[in-house]
Amino acid sequence: MSDNKKKILEMLAQGKISADDAYRLLSAIDGGEGRRESTSRAETAVKDKAKYLRVTVLPNPDSERSGNYDRVNIRVPMSLIRAGIKFTSLIPSEARDKVNLALHEKGIDFDERNMKPQDIEELIGALSDLEVDVITKNGESVKVFVE
Amino acid sequence: MKRPPMLMHMRIQGERKGFGLWLPLFLLLPLALVVFIILSPLILVAAIILWPSGWGKRALYTLRAALDIFWSMRGLKVDVRSGRQCVSISVV
Repeated sequence: MSDNKKKILEMLAQGKISADDAYRLLSAIDGGEGRRESTSRAETAVKDKAKYLRVTVLPNPDSERSGNYDRVNIRVPMSLIRAGIKFTSLIPSEARDKVNLALHEKGIDFDERNMKPQDIEELIGALSDLEVDVITKNGESVKVFVE
Repeated sequence: MKRPPMLMHMRIQGERKGFGLWLPLFLLLPLALVVFIILSPLILVAAIILWPSGWGKRALYTLRAALDIFWSMRGLKVDVRSGRQCVSISVV
């Protein structure tokens, strides 16, 4: 039982509010909780829908017409990213120490050994909000997004 | 439940020559399974021998992780073009 519900029942017991008022307040709280639950369910559904990480590099129209252009279109399934992250536990400890040291020299105190499975899931879930859109000096469009 | 990849299409195009290749992964899977069943006693023995050094566990984990990666490849698409040259890989 939530604190708000307890307070309402206490107020009813103390005679500060009538039974009708208590009923209305409790209904309002239940409605609010229901809405919150459905919103969080919708957010989870959106995150679950994120299936692919996309990286695209599109040339500017002028260079495309001249035939001298680079074009990149990469689509990586999220499940493959998940499986790839699991592979990091196979990195030999000597190599991992070197990576950690190099990161530390760059000012990043990060040790992959401290990553838990739920952290990985959280990280992948957060990727669904990722969107990078860069236009270079040459007019190329670089996009990184999740779909 | 994840479905395994069925086909892999590769296309490599150079300045003059190029080639495309369809790999029927669904035909390779039963073959890989047969090879795995034949080799499994050897893998098991090797894992038991290497277990005290820690490499046995690591080898089994690698096998599982490799299988997991293969199973997750469905939908992968890489398409890189530079002028007339192109490398394209897609897994369906």
